Amino acid sequence: MSIKGQACVAGIYEHPTRRADDLSIARLHADVALGALADAGLSPSDVDAYFCGADAPGIGGFSMAEYIGLNNLRYMDTTETGGSSYLLHVSHAARAIATGQCNVALITMADRPLAAGAGPVLAGVDMSKVPEREFAPPVMVPPVYGYAMVAKRHMHEFGTTAEQLAWVKVAASHHAQYNPHARLREPMTLADVMASPLVADPLRRADCCVVTDGGGALVITRPEIARSLARPVVKIAGAGEAMRHSRGGRIDLLHSAGVFSAAKAFEEAGVTPGDIKYASLYDSFTITVIMQLEDIGFCEKGMGGRFVADGNLISGIGRLPVNTDGGGLCSNHPGNKGGMTKMLEAVRQCRGEAHPSVQVADHGLVLAHGTGGLLSSQHMAGTVILEAA
Amino acid sequence: MTIETKPPRAEVSPEARIFREAAAEGRFLIRRCGACGEAHYYPRSHCPVCGSRDVDWVEASGGASLYSFTVMEGAKRATAPAIVDLDEGLRINSVVLDADVHRLAIGDRVTVAFQADREGVLRLAFTTAEANAARAHTDAAMAAVAADEKAFAAGKPPVEIETVAVIGAGNMGIGITTAFLKAGFSVLMIDRAEEAFERARARIAETLERDVTRKRLSAEGAAATLARLATSTAMADLARADLVVEAVWEQMELKTSVFAEASRHARPGVCLCSNTSTLDIDEIAAATDRPDRVVGLHFFNPAHVMRLLEVVRGAATSEATLALAMQVGQRLGKVPVVVGNAYGFVGNRLMIARERQAARMLLEGALPRQIDAVLTRFGMPMGTFEMQDMAGGIELSYRNRQSTGEKNFIIDRLFEAGRLGQKTGKGYYRYEPGKTRPIVDAEVTAIIEAASADAGIERRAISDEEIEERLILLMINEGAKLVAAGIARRPSDIDVVWQTGFGWPSWKGGPMYHADRLGIGAVHARLVDLHARFGDPFAPAPLLETMARSGETFATLASSATGSETGTAR
Repeated sequence: MSIKGQACVAGIYEHPTRRADDLSIARLHADVALGALADAGLSPSDVDAYFCGADAPGIGGFSMAEYIGLNNLRYMDTTETGGSSYLLHVSHAARAIATGQCNVALITMADRPLAAGAGPVLAGVDMSKVPEREFAPPVMVPPVYGYAMVAKRHMHEFGTTAEQLAWVKVAASHHAQYNPHARLREPMTLADVMASPLVADPLRRADCCVVTDGGGALVITRPEIARSLARPVVKIAGAGEAMRHSRGGRIDLLHSAGVFSAAKAFEEAGVTPGDIKYASLYDSFTITVIMQLEDIGFCEKGMGGRFVADGNLISGIGRLPVNTDGGGLCSNHPGNKGGMTKMLEAVRQCRGEAHPSVQVADHGLVLAHGTGGLLSSQHMAGTVILEAA
Repeated sequence: MTIETKPPRAEVSPEARIFREAAAEGRFLIRRCGACGEAHYYPRSHCPVCGSRDVDWVEASGGASLYSFTVMEGAKRATAPAIVDLDEGLRINSVVLDADVHRLAIGDRVTVAFQADREGVLRLAFTTAEANAARAHTDAAMAAVAADEKAFAAGKPPVEIETVAVIGAGNMGIGITTAFLKAGFSVLMIDRAEEAFERARARIAETLERDVTRKRLSAEGAAATLARLATSTAMADLARADLVVEAVWEQMELKTSVFAEASRHARPGVCLCSNTSTLDIDEIAAATDRPDRVVGLHFFNPAHVMRLLEVVRGAATSEATLALAMQVGQRLGKVPVVVGNAYGFVGNRLMIARERQAARMLLEGALPRQIDAVLTRFGMPMGTFEMQDMAGGIELSYRNRQSTGEKNFIIDRLFEAGRLGQKTGKGYYRYEPGKTRPIVDAEVTAIIEAASADAGIERRAISDEEIEERLILLMINEGAKLVAAGIARRPSDIDVVWQTGFGWPSWKGGPMYHADRLGIGAVHARLVDLHARFGDPFAPAPLLETMARSGETFATLASSATGSETGTAR
């Protein structure tokens, strides 16, 4: 069955903090939950479905449901696919609503790696029990090394340049200057990015996203409920998800699971990449954006570097504005998971409520896409297409 | 960004035991499916391609090519995570820990094998043909050094050494005493100042306690080791010693008087060794009644840790004495290398040349961070300024120049500012309390810029390439002079000295091996050019000119045994 038009995003909230020294993870979950419900004009008692990732405190969603005060739950989903989890949650919520299992779904994400001094690793994963680690403990615990190898091979294969990678950051920083909550608000030139020190050749510090605390939440409802509320109606037109891994020694650095998740979402929505006027793309690293542009079909495989050059991702200048909130590269990447913030800015654009300096004129159809896990090995992609009613 | 290199401890699955046992031997097994024929990596008891349980173990050839890689910038030890294409058709994760990560290229042929890293974790690592060749050279160079002991001892009965007297309870004396104690010798420490012994004993006990904490030594073992230490303020007690090692302050008058006294008290025939790092061993020997039994034993700081031991042969030193020194060195677990008597011998001679050139480049426009980064990128474990901060080089240079009145703008200002290195929390860099990570300090930059102005030098940007040439080619040039003069008995001895004493990586062979890789003709030509631009230190050694003309390399030179094989030339 198709979910096209069967569910809507009724409320959103992004926590304004980027460093939560004095806020617990549970408190952050509650802050964003209440924020999104207030945005929708609903209350916790209206929520009958709850979604969170494995990093939420407690077993699955139990503790957060009790802490927030969700007293009428009849549906729960704690799918964990790293940073893309929340795109999958949107898809799952829409399907649950479409099949009559719930009416109002709340999705929350929150974490505080910065305050905890944890660095760029995902919380709550016991690596000692991971079978492939037993046989080849890789050195690359921080994901940057895996993504650097993707970038290196991409350059080798397609002639992608470091300057092209840098253009992704330039676009993000251009957008971030209009976001008062962005972690990095200073616009960067190509030269600024190129002067940034190498972290993992060919990736520089500026090619990496920020590490931040905070989080965000989404409220998904039936269309008839959404229409009864005060906010602009944003329909879920289609969604897709897909997983890829190393297949016992068959690593593919050049294609991500996004090839399959995007095709599914486009098919469901009945649109093509050319119809999309704004895209929120996972930007853990600059290379991630280039790979996704190709895999989603915004350009041919191998042409991502050329596609992003010369400001093509900058709102008002380029053909495809991307991450107009400044993205994970400049604004926010809470808990090392960028899927939630990708959804939030896509909804703002679709509502026509992004910052006036970055709002796209034609915002009838927008896309949010994310890759969770490691692009170079195990990862899961989620694609969501939104449509203004 | 914090870089976490230590992977979490993995549990071993029972079904993977065969795989793990092979890996521990360095062998690399993969599985192949009897049903579909597909190979797969990391052991499962079924085929992940078709699901069949008919899977066999196959030993991988280890041959592979590099599919992609990156370099962990800022890692303490050069590390390159990579993905390799095995000849068996699998594309898997690997990592290089011991090759020149800055010279890798996609498509390179590499060898993959299981290898334990520094934490003892087995890693599926790869290495390059270049690194393997350098390691083969290293093995041969070490074997040649190890064979020297037998050559010198030929036909002579071994001397039994039980008690070693160490004269001087300063830093070096303490390190040397610790080394002898840990190797099972009894040590009699002699110093004029009774109070020095308390500090010495405490420091040695501290080192032994660390070994106990790290489970390298039992508590009883530590107590027994410390019990073998005796102390005395009377030189007459030297009569009890089977070997005497002097480690007093580096000053000729002091050394000669100590040796004169030592030769009065030590039993006839007992070897008198000096730990001098720069002084003339012949002048020291002349103060004794037994110049043939005097030899230099040049330990490197900290003496109980560093593997290198330069055995300095004086003009009168007998082969039997050399054999004894080598025997003691090996019992200490050191790598004893026989060197000739010349300023700085072999190791420090190259280091001093490098330090001076680095200091010169500070005046011309470089900063410590840039120079040190060039050296670590080259493969050295640390840069020259970082090393001086660690070893107290600023204080040493300042104090050594007080008698001569010679000035050094930068070092004098650093010293006056209390910047003595890591021990005062600042030197060429500054250091967070208790930390050893060097941090750039604007105060030092200002001192360096003032020094340039004082010297009337207009500062300029110096390229990394120029820095590498001026440091590395200079070392090669100094090394060639030592080979020609017989101070180094073989070119490969210099490589052993720099690997074991200064951390030159085994996968890069050593300075003289590196010269062969660059090509002697090219080295000579570059030196001619550098000589014209930067003066005398770069005047090419005549040996290099001869070799460039004849087409010889340091490797072929070693086998053709030119001239001063005995190594006593001055």
